[in-house]
Amino acid sequence: MSLLAVRRPPLGTVADVPTTQGSVQQSAEPDDTEVARRFVDGDEQALAWAYERWAAQVHGMAVRAFGPGPDAEDVTQQTFISAWTGRARYRPDQGALPAWLVGVCRHKIADTWAKRERQRRSTEAAASEARSAPTAGPGSELATEVADRVLLLGELNRIGQPQRSIIELAFFEDLTHAQIAARTGIPLGTVKSHIRRTLERLRDRLEVDGAALRS
Amino acid sequence: MQHCDPDELALAALGEQPAPECAAHLGDCAECEREVASLRRSVAVLAVPALATPRQAVAPPPQVWAAIAAATGVAVSPRPAEIEAGLSREVPMPRSTEVETAVPEPAGSTVLPFRPRSARGPAARWLPLAAAVLVGGLIGAGAVAVTQDGAGGAVVAQAGLDPLPEQVASGTAEVRERGGVRELQVDLDVPALDDAYYEVWLLQADAQRMVPVGIVQQGATVLRLPDGIDLAAYPLVDVSVEPLDGDPTHSGVSVVRGELAT
Repeated sequence: MSLLAVRRPPLGTVADVPTTQGSVQQSAEPDDTEVARRFVDGDEQALAWAYERWAAQVHGMAVRAFGPGPDAEDVTQQTFISAWTGRARYRPDQGALPAWLVGVCRHKIADTWAKRERQRRSTEAAASEARSAPTAGPGSELATEVADRVLLLGELNRIGQPQRSIIELAFFEDLTHAQIAARTGIPLGTVKSHIRRTLERLRDRLEVDGAALRS
Repeated sequence: MQHCDPDELALAALGEQPAPECAAHLGDCAECEREVASLRRSVAVLAVPALATPRQAVAPPPQVWAAIAAATGVAVSPRPAEIEAGLSREVPMPRSTEVETAVPEPAGSTVLPFRPRSARGPAARWLPLAAAVLVGGLIGAGAVAVTQDGAGGAVVAQAGLDPLPEQVASGTAEVRERGGVRELQVDLDVPALDDAYYEVWLLQADAQRMVPVGIVQQGATVLRLPDGIDLAAYPLVDVSVEPLDGDPTHSGVSVVRGELAT
């Protein structure tokens, strides 16, 4: 949903055509904010620009998780496809487009791990059936972890700012709360209380929907 | 025995050193230890190197774009030289100018969770001053996305609307002026409500006095502002949940708030 696209006609005015403002300068190489705006609007060129600017970062992440090859390429590809088809979910007021793409990539990496784990288990189950021997239960540590990761990444998406940026800096940039306060300008005490609330929220989510309980 | 401050336990769960008195207490207190362990689970699951912010960029091979183009049907193509140039770009992480502006921490303040309706009463009408100012001040710089357009007049002020603690909601607000008439447009992303509705208010900085502007909904709503209202005196845009109880005053339950920046 574009925040800019949906406007009701202003109240109490008659239709006329303003001419003095409103046209955005269309330069050949727009800045990142403009790329993001046009991306949300569904401008195909903006997808190509976003790819030019940030595909190498996204792919670097995928390669770090899976090594170079088809799995990493699939993650990068799925990240951009999913970002494009789900562009209505991008909220410019919640952060820059490349940071959002990195978040989408995290989901794709976690999904790929979960898929691999399912495959491993079904292979194992088939093998153990052939041997008529019990196999590792669904609650095995690795299976629980990959499932919880998908769950918690989804929960992170629902956290508002500035709480989400704060916890992302702690989790994904490995910053201390003091460094986060210095980086963001948010008071130290506020950073600490946001961290606590977010960790409590994530714990609650695990307690309600976590894989350990389902197994 | 004095237990640890919960905030310190959260830091311990992140692997940070808690305050000395808490660190000393932790060794002796099974209850505080259990709390740390329960909070640590999400850290163990998410704070893993593979999910960290990328450091080493790698240009994807050409077949990656080919697959994206095939799946999305887009007809354009990125320029290979520009993808190479992307190797040296950084992914911007939040900084003060993007997340919010720095504000001095008022003495003893905390950002309060929204007030449960049952706690409401004449004396508990509104969030304490310090919390309101803190939240308002934190949010002012959030308005980054709204660009001017000519459709409804000149944008004279705008605000990012950020959720109050425990709330899942967000939005933006802008004030436009044309021919001496000012309108407030509120764009909201909020949960649906049963037997209640959302109302937008303009608050004074102390959050003690307020003017109701009107009923707002999910998506965009445009409302005319009262003539003569001084936005400098009422700088906070606040969206509340109002039950259908016939009480025209603010319920005390706000979902998002932000400070208008001109």
